[in-house]
Amino acid sequence: MATGEWVQLSYRVPREPSTPRIAIWRQLRSLGVAKLGDGLVALPLDPRAREQFEWIADEIEQAGGEAAIWIARPGSGRQERTLIEAMREAISGEYRELIESAAAAESAPSKRDLAKLRRHLRKVKRRDYFPPPERERAEVAIGNVAEALRSVAA
Amino acid sequence: MRWATRSGPHVDRTACAWLIRCFIDSKAEFVFVDDPDEVPDDATPFDMRGVELSHHEGDCTFETILHRYELDDPVLWAIGRIVHQADIEDDRFDAPEADGLDALMRGLSMVREDQEVLDLSAPLYDGLYEYLRRSAVIGRDPS
Repeated sequence: MATGEWVQLSYRVPREPSTPRIAIWRQLRSLGVAKLGDGLVALPLDPRAREQFEWIADEIEQAGGEAAIWIARPGSGRQERTLIEAMREAISGEYRELIESAAAAESAPSKRDLAKLRRHLRKVKRRDYFPPPERERAEVAIGNVAEALRSVAA
Repeated sequence: MRWATRSGPHVDRTACAWLIRCFIDSKAEFVFVDDPDEVPDDATPFDMRGVELSHHEGDCTFETILHRYELDDPVLWAIGRIVHQADIEDDRFDAPEADGLDALMRGLSMVREDQEVLDLSAPLYDGLYEYLRRSAVIGRDPS
């Protein structure tokens, strides 16, 4: 099987001060990166992923660190599948949490909870590159909260 | 004057081009490059890695340009908050317009050439400016 292209960010951030180091890691996490090793993360190549890595690379350099961006191809299909599986497993965990929160919110639905769940779902979907079946289940679960809210109001 | 940015402009670059043409350089011409090394010598680069008019300390390029050219019109800063949220998505500002604007600009860049994307998006930013200006004047959302 032919493997796809990935964009990688290799970086090193000084241990201290810790604030920029934590901010950088938080940004990488919100992008849903696959961690390939110490100071090496990857995403499937697309213009947005590449651009986000570029901005983060700038920030790393401004924080006194080093960063480089690479376009890479996994050496084997198997290696790529392992990577994709790990990313899919991580993101399905996030959807499962959403499904649980939605189930909890359904018994006493509030507009505020619904808005919060929807916002959270949007963020998770943004970093979902290999949608697992839980994605649709999370959408349905949140749809049920909206439905419950509608019947309360009626 | 010539200005250069990366090809495939989305929300931050389209908004910056509009800002430059309306508030900084009415004769601005824009060139698009794929690599920072391709920026022509006589062009001012923006929204690219390692240049002055770019992301700085958590600001998007639009905000950097507002700072750099000392544009203190509060309506422009209101647009800046929308562009910031659309581009960086860090929830620093509550800007519900961001998601819609982002989708429109991404979509536009899929169906039109770079230059055309700037021409088509400019009236949208004119409209956004007027909308936000009126809401600032009357203190609520205009109808």
